[in-house]
Amino acid sequence: MALFTPTFSLKSLTSTTSQRRRFGHSNWSFTARATVAVDAPSSSASDRGGAAPKLLLEVKDLSAVIADSKQPILKGVNLTVHEGEVHTVMGKNGSGKSTFAKVLVGHPDYEITGGSITYKGQDLVQMEPEERATAGLFMSFQSPVAIPGVSNIDFLNMAYNARRRKLGLPELGPIEFYGYVAPKLELVNMKIDLLNRNVNEGFSGGERKRNEILQLAVLGADLAILDEIDSGLDVDALRDVAKAVNRILTPKNSILMITHYLRLLEFIKPTYIHIMENGRIVKTGDISLAETLEREGYKAIA
Amino acid sequence: MATTNSMSISTLNSYYLPKSRTPPPRRSAYKPPRTTTTTVFAQPPTLAILSDPHVLRLAETLEDSIAASSSAASPPLPLQKLRDISSQSLLSTPWPSRKDELFRFTDTSFIKNSEIQPIPPSEMQSIASLSILGDTVFPNLAIVDGYLVDSLSNSSGLPNGVFVGPLSRLNSEDIMKRVSKYVSSFQGDLFWSLNGVGAPDVIVVYVPEGCKVENPLHLRLFSFNGSDKDSKTLPISNPRVLVLVEKGGEIGIVEEYSGGEGNDKCYWTNSVMEIVIGDGAKVSHSYVQSQSLGAAHVKWTSVRQESTSVYELIEVSTGGKLSRHNVHVQQVGPDTVTELSTFHLSIGDQLQDLHSKLVLDHPRGVSRQLHKCIVAHSLGQAVFDGNVQVNRDAQQTDAGQLTRSLLLEPRATVNVKPNLQIIADDVKCSHGAAISDLEENQLFYFQARGIDLQSARRALIFSFAAEVVQCFPDASVQKKVESLIRKLLDPALP
Ligand SMILES: Nc1ncnc2c1ncn2[C@@H]1O[C@H](COP(=O)(O)OP(=O)(O)OP(=O)(O)O)[C@@H](O)[C@H]1O
Ligand SMILES: [Mg+2]
Repeated sequence: MALFTPTFSLKSLTSTTSQRRRFGHSNWSFTARATVAVDAPSSSASDRGGAAPKLLLEVKDLSAVIADSKQPILKGVNLTVHEGEVHTVMGKNGSGKSTFAKVLVGHPDYEITGGSITYKGQDLVQMEPEERATAGLFMSFQSPVAIPGVSNIDFLNMAYNARRRKLGLPELGPIEFYGYVAPKLELVNMKIDLLNRNVNEGFSGGERKRNEILQLAVLGADLAILDEIDSGLDVDALRDVAKAVNRILTPKNSILMITHYLRLLEFIKPTYIHIMENGRIVKTGDISLAETLEREGYKAIA
Repeated sequence: MATTNSMSISTLNSYYLPKSRTPPPRRSAYKPPRTTTTTVFAQPPTLAILSDPHVLRLAETLEDSIAASSSAASPPLPLQKLRDISSQSLLSTPWPSRKDELFRFTDTSFIKNSEIQPIPPSEMQSIASLSILGDTVFPNLAIVDGYLVDSLSNSSGLPNGVFVGPLSRLNSEDIMKRVSKYVSSFQGDLFWSLNGVGAPDVIVVYVPEGCKVENPLHLRLFSFNGSDKDSKTLPISNPRVLVLVEKGGEIGIVEEYSGGEGNDKCYWTNSVMEIVIGDGAKVSHSYVQSQSLGAAHVKWTSVRQESTSVYELIEVSTGGKLSRHNVHVQQVGPDTVTELSTFHLSIGDQLQDLHSKLVLDHPRGVSRQLHKCIVAHSLGQAVFDGNVQVNRDAQQTDAGQLTRSLLLEPRATVNVKPNLQIIADDVKCSHGAAISDLEENQLFYFQARGIDLQSARRALIFSFAAEVVQCFPDASVQKKVESLIRKLLDPALP
């Protein structure tokens, strides 16, 4: 279920809800940090009230090729994500991180040649990309495309209404939707005129990233896959974006986050760090893995 | 030319065409005598060698229909002049073939192989009461099958000195003089001349010096008579409009073609509009063509721009089995501005053709042309021939042309021929042509946000058209065209 169900009224979103979230988040990140344990991921759940954490995503021996050339990129990826966990994938350029993210959301450039993906108990591979999205899977693109001729607000409105249809709720007209989306702009510290511009057209690198997070804020997600939301951002922008993510997602949501740098992890605390190499996850550990990487580079963990 | 006197096609026909009747009677017995035509030949015109029998027969049919329907009074001089010039030129104009450069990609055999039937004016009475045209808030003229229908028109509220109406009702000698000067000052192709022979009258839109007409004038052209698909006959109408805007004047024209419930009615609209824009004057021309998918729609727009004048054309064409728009803009003074924004949509087994020609002969002209088309049917075709001539004296011209085509079906066809001919050396010219399908990455971006593929495609197609649709200066026209395109793209929508 999407978290940002549209039944929230405007008021509750801007005042009480966000306060609750901020508070909830600091708890959450602290908890997450304290419970890193590769072999016992369930320990974090016990801190939160005892119930076993629900399995959200299970990737088994996933291999994929580029659809055109049949060139293998993913060569047996294994990953399990429970509700509320924050997973970070790191790895050298070209190791397959973005490909993994895009395969998860059903990008047509890739063909799955082996293994399985289960999301909320369903076979994800059988789902259309738009079904995956409305089922709460959200990916922020490393390089989002521009769509000339389609205004940002119309695009968001279409996407939001698709989500509402799925939930059996009435769609929002442009004026109602504007009321819903305007406060979210503040959340990502985005200028209002970007709503009336065409989707990503002429947006700076930082504006594109913020726009991705704005979409996350509008649509909500059970599993947010964030592909390098920190690249190309200045220090302040990085803080804005990370803060926004923390406010948008509650402790029940899960994150799969791709990054090259430790600094993002200071804002969004990971449960696990995975290292991807040549289409596989070759190592999993806690934040110290990222710290070693930052200090000594990939040779240190080879 | 072989003769200096006015002549008619039929007389020549009877001399030079292999007919079953025995020559040389000038007029066959069943034809009513004509009052307006004198035919004197000093010698047999040699140009008749180039005559195309098919063209002459068609011209004769049109002439006969005009003769039969017009009143005893002789037509106003400019109209007579138009008919004469047109008749003359038809004598040496063959039916275009695919070998003609201008018709290389445009197959006109659909018209050629049909029996062409002129529509008599009497049939207009019956529809006078029908509310086929919908509402308009603007001063407007209803032109049904090429004839002005007064009861459906309302041209009140126009400023003093503005004349809007048929040439035959023009009382001002001064305006008549001006009109005389410009009627058929340009020579088009076969279809142009056929219109000149077949037009029952000329609708004149005259804007005097310095007069800025606030509301756009809405010309509502409707095709009422149509034949069935398999009948092989095409009722023809020949509307003709002359827009004359004097120095410093301004007007907006909304020219809208429709006709035919359902989409298989067959008819042929063969229309001409001439526009003369004086010094510093401005014409904003909106053109919307959504005729029946069984129709032939051939249209000429010829524009003459004097110094510092502005002409803008915004066109959306979606109708017709065969639709061709010829736009010819001639610059006759410096510092003119010309903006052409056009969008063609081929949603079925149809051809959408734009042939534009911009001739720049004077310094510092600015021209901007954007042509977009979508072919969304495997039997659909779009043609664009965009010629821009920047001649020797047109220094410091700034000419830009851009064309983009979207092919949405495997065998959909587009023939694009942008051509810039630049003789002046100090000019800024740019052009670009792109043909593509919808971008996979863009489609996926929609899907990744939960929007299904079909809605995503529709949004992208719609946005492709929007770049042109947004140029319509009048919001109500914009809205109307938007919903027209929406409906065509998704017939399931209300
Ligand atoms: N659609 C594609 N066509 C061709 N090659 C591709 C395509 N997608 C991925 N690749 C190739 O697959 C490899 C993995 O790419 P991917 O984008 O997944 O790397 P990454 O780990 O995200 O790198 P970075 O850290 O630079 O973002 C690269 O060599 C890339 O060039
Ligand atoms: Mg990447």
